[in-house]
Amino acid sequence: MKKLLNKIGKYFADFGKAVAKGDIWTKLSLVIMGAGYIGRKQIVKGILMTIVEACVILFTTGVTWPFISKLNTLGTVQREEIFDPLTFESTVNDYDNSLLILLYGIVGIIVIAAFILLYIKNIKNQYALQKQKEEGKHINTFREDVKELINGKFHITLLTLPSLGVIVINVIPIIFMICIAFTNYDDKHMPPTYLFSWVGWKNFKSLFTNSISVSFGYTFPRILCWTLIWAVVATFTCFIGGILLAQLINHRWVKAKKLWRSLFVITIAIPQFVTLLLVRRMFADAGIVNTFCSHVGITQFLKDIGLLASNYSYIPFLSAKGWAHVMIILINIWVGVPYQMLIATGILMNIPEDQLEAARIDGASNRQIFWKVKMPYIMFIMGPSLVTSIIANINNFNVIYLLTQNYTTLDASLANSHAKETDLLITWLFSLTKDYSNYKMASVIGIMTFIICAVITLLSYTRMIKGDKEEVFQ
Amino acid sequence: MKAKKIWGTTWRHLLLIALSVFWLIPIFWLVLTAFSEKKGIDTAHFIPEKFSLDNFVQLFFRPDTAANFPAWFKNSLVIGIGCCIISSLFVLMVSYAFSCMRFKGRKALMSFSIILGMFPGVLSMIAIYFVLKMFGLTNSTLGLIIVYSGASGLGFLICKGFFDTIPASLRESAKLEGASELTTFVKIVIPLSKPMIVYTVINSFLAPWMDFVMARLMITSKDPKEWTVAIGLFNLLQKTLASSYFGVFCAGGCIVAIPISILFVIMQKFYVEGITGGSVKG
Amino acid sequence: MKKKLVSALLIAAMASSLVACGGKDDTKDTTAASKETESQAADDSAIQTLISKTNGEVSLRLWCSETEAWQNVMKTVVDNFKAQYPDVTFDISIESESEANAKDDILADPEAAADVFVFASDQLAELVNAGAIQSLDTTYTYNPAEAYSENALDAASQDGKLYAYPLTASNGYFLYYDSSVFSEEDVASWESLVAAAEKNNVTVGMEMANAWYTYGFMAGAGLTCTLSEDGKTNTCDWNTDTGYAVAEAVQNLCSSDAFVNLAEDAAGPEQAANGNLKAFVNGTWNAEAVKAAYGDGYAACKLPTLNVNGQDIQMGSFAGYKFVGVNAYTKNDNFEKAWAMVLAEYISSEASQELIGEATAEGMANTVAASKQTSPELAAIGEQSAYANLQVIGDNYWSPAATLFSTLYAGTDDVKKAVDEAVAGITAEVATE
Repeated sequence: MKKLLNKIGKYFADFGKAVAKGDIWTKLSLVIMGAGYIGRKQIVKGILMTIVEACVILFTTGVTWPFISKLNTLGTVQREEIFDPLTFESTVNDYDNSLLILLYGIVGIIVIAAFILLYIKNIKNQYALQKQKEEGKHINTFREDVKELINGKFHITLLTLPSLGVIVINVIPIIFMICIAFTNYDDKHMPPTYLFSWVGWKNFKSLFTNSISVSFGYTFPRILCWTLIWAVVATFTCFIGGILLAQLINHRWVKAKKLWRSLFVITIAIPQFVTLLLVRRMFADAGIVNTFCSHVGITQFLKDIGLLASNYSYIPFLSAKGWAHVMIILINIWVGVPYQMLIATGILMNIPEDQLEAARIDGASNRQIFWKVKMPYIMFIMGPSLVTSIIANINNFNVIYLLTQNYTTLDASLANSHAKETDLLITWLFSLTKDYSNYKMASVIGIMTFIICAVITLLSYTRMIKGDKEEVFQ
Repeated sequence: MKAKKIWGTTWRHLLLIALSVFWLIPIFWLVLTAFSEKKGIDTAHFIPEKFSLDNFVQLFFRPDTAANFPAWFKNSLVIGIGCCIISSLFVLMVSYAFSCMRFKGRKALMSFSIILGMFPGVLSMIAIYFVLKMFGLTNSTLGLIIVYSGASGLGFLICKGFFDTIPASLRESAKLEGASELTTFVKIVIPLSKPMIVYTVINSFLAPWMDFVMARLMITSKDPKEWTVAIGLFNLLQKTLASSYFGVFCAGGCIVAIPISILFVIMQKFYVEGITGGSVKG
Repeated sequence: MKKKLVSALLIAAMASSLVACGGKDDTKDTTAASKETESQAADDSAIQTLISKTNGEVSLRLWCSETEAWQNVMKTVVDNFKAQYPDVTFDISIESESEANAKDDILADPEAAADVFVFASDQLAELVNAGAIQSLDTTYTYNPAEAYSENALDAASQDGKLYAYPLTASNGYFLYYDSSVFSEEDVASWESLVAAAEKNNVTVGMEMANAWYTYGFMAGAGLTCTLSEDGKTNTCDWNTDTGYAVAEAVQNLCSSDAFVNLAEDAAGPEQAANGNLKAFVNGTWNAEAVKAAYGDGYAACKLPTLNVNGQDIQMGSFAGYKFVGVNAYTKNDNFEKAWAMVLAEYISSEASQELIGEATAEGMANTVAASKQTSPELAAIGEQSAYANLQVIGDNYWSPAATLFSTLYAGTDDVKKAVDEAVAGITAEVATE
């Protein structure tokens, strides 16, 4: 922590030093950012830098400032339109749109923040340049600068466009949605007609409150619980299933390995939503599986052994608590195992032959080889990706959303907060936004989901972020 | 020993047959329904009573106000190709920077990217929509390409792992011969990372064929000509349409599977190498 | 003389719209004023003014149902519209949007939604509350008061202002049955229907997890469940003795093996065609499929009665319309909004409604157009309409009510508790902030 503070302190100290000790060109750069470069005969660079400065200033004052200045209230003027039925003219007042204020405000602030960093960096550069000149060192020409961009500073060239993409598609929306969690953006405050405003931590409180009108406090722990169970069970069933299947197909006695593999891979080739919608139809209350079961007598059998309440004339595969949970996991196995099988096959083929040989020479049985040699190897390779899979399953929207469209909850408290037993956090927040326009609560749930994922990752995954083994292989 | 082998071979094959039948039943149903004469869902018969090619004919040659498959296919193809190119480039660029170069803030950037990737995407969609609207890109293929591939740089982990396994000595010797980083990247690292490229290409090509949630939000036009395959097929199972378009839906599902299967079969080898090669490092 | 009257009315309308924007205190006056204007139509001179003012192409987007019948007939109607105003060039694109989804997609971003759209009547309140739908203060080409029943106009108005033109009046439900299996006596009550089904070894059914249908049980017994005065929460008196008795009776009904719960809309026609479902509750949109399934036995009638405490109670229902409305966010730079309003009028005009009714087999809202239509399902809708209520209900109704009837179908020992919980959910406060 102290280190960080020191770093920040030094950052600004350097800036102060550059300003204080800078010569006329460096000081001039405080106003016209390219001035210093021009003074040191880096004409092109100087012009480019000044153009950037001008663009940012124009963009901020011309486009984003009106939005930034209203960020504190998120707008005060509500839309009014008067349509004159005689002249057919309509007049609309100059209204505020909270959503655009927030979004463009964020964009504006990001641009300004980036500009400030650039500005400080620029002054420091100018000062460094000044020093170079004083010491009589070589100053790069523009051509040399460009060359540097494909060499020593190649990472800047490489990362600029992808970062820009991430900022536009990822960072801005995320900041926006985090902000929404602190507003009252819901079906009663829908822009453009109505305004929404800041409400502080209120939405987070209601996530944990349980009253007649708000049952989020009842719903949230239940949904969270099922989300975690689902994520763990779905991940491990697919993982183990995939390894077993790969092991089965790769056995030396099995003929036509490619054919078997391809048969399973076909299921990946059809888009997931098509197969899922199809499977849902098959297992519908009046679907073909139920027709089959009642013809063969399975339905009756289930009733006889008490697994099915007597008033059901069908098996509620996807429409009753318990049944649906199990079916979802089974169907997920169906969806996920072929994919895991492919991966596991690849790994099993890559096991160093000498390790297997050594084990065989030691007289290990096939089973022992599998458990003592292959499994540790697979775990070593797949371990980190298991965590990714768990995270991916927490956010596994498709399977749950598509399979449980006909599920109706029998729990009134869940129904009051528009959830059902089979919902994951992610599908719950989706229906909150799409069907009930309750963006504020959806954002809160989204933030909670994010926190859960982040905690899981940090607990088990730091090894990977550290990247301390990077050099081992190189 | 011999008896054991016969027994072992038999049960393994029997089990495989049982499993693959189980796995293929829905696929059979999809294909059978696609070739069925009926337009709606047949819950009484697994094998249709009458076969016909009409669902496919309708799919390709009789586009109407609900189903315009040729246009969907074209849109998805364009988006898929666009995504492939941009995503692959981005992933390779980011991976190279993170794996082969050392610069200030590298680790901080990597950690930040991993954290960013954990935010639920479903939630930020509404904001992405308005960002796109700001640039006037909703309802356009370009907009969808940007949405699908813009943040692809975040998916660098596997590819970076793969690059980590490329011996540094290769790059260093190139540099000794006076090659720039750009030359090293293009001439040495990229040719070595074929499986990775294939992996990224397949994954990014598939996005527009699979995703219906994001696409439905970004394409506000209700003119079927502007949709992708995923939006279109999903729409065919709407309440008012399901009873007369289920067969067409299945036919569409079959057709979409063809290019994807071909991709998979050809690329299977690379695909497996790509994933495992990358995750060897983890 | 006529002209003078018209302009006076227009000014009144103008005044009313001004007042409406001014503040909420004057709502009562507004209501009175706009009611008056609505009842009168302006003559063609207003439209002539509009034509002369319009320069260049007017481009409009129109959303209507994705089914082929609707799309085709809408194309004809739009062509007729263009022919009606040859002096103006129009670029009207017809897009496919299910009426049921219109609200969701409009509210997601009204600026990106169509200029004229067809939507289900139950979405009106939310569209109005969100300010996404244009009020239609003046009708230029016909007189709504003459063209529609009072009920239809009430449904299309909120706070005394007209927001949409009624298009179809058949968004309701009734009983389809196979007359070769059931007699007219059988279908009169659920009890006789289920008994006959058990005897013939066939099934009857309805969607029990769809609160739109199950509303009918409670409504039939005279219980109310509707949007409160505040326009947000619901009022519901199901948690009374009558309500418990109805719930008991429904649970009894469901306990028969012959009564099946249809999982989704498509399940009805599907089981009718492939299974042995011989009578079920559904609406006109599936008429073709049911006709094909039942063949010569095809018949439709009002909903059956339910025996509650020894008394036969006629099952009620929700009635709904399809409306055509204008987007409040349509630009008016080249009088697009004005033309959108004229187009909405044209689509809902008597001539267009006749065309639409013929093409889609739906019952039309225009009284003249409706009188020319005949079919078993429209007759059934007509029969049922005496027991139907307009669907005015807040969002909180759906999940709890669906839960209640799913519970009853699955069977519960404590019916009272199930009803109480549902009522608590239905009437739950809506967070005001």
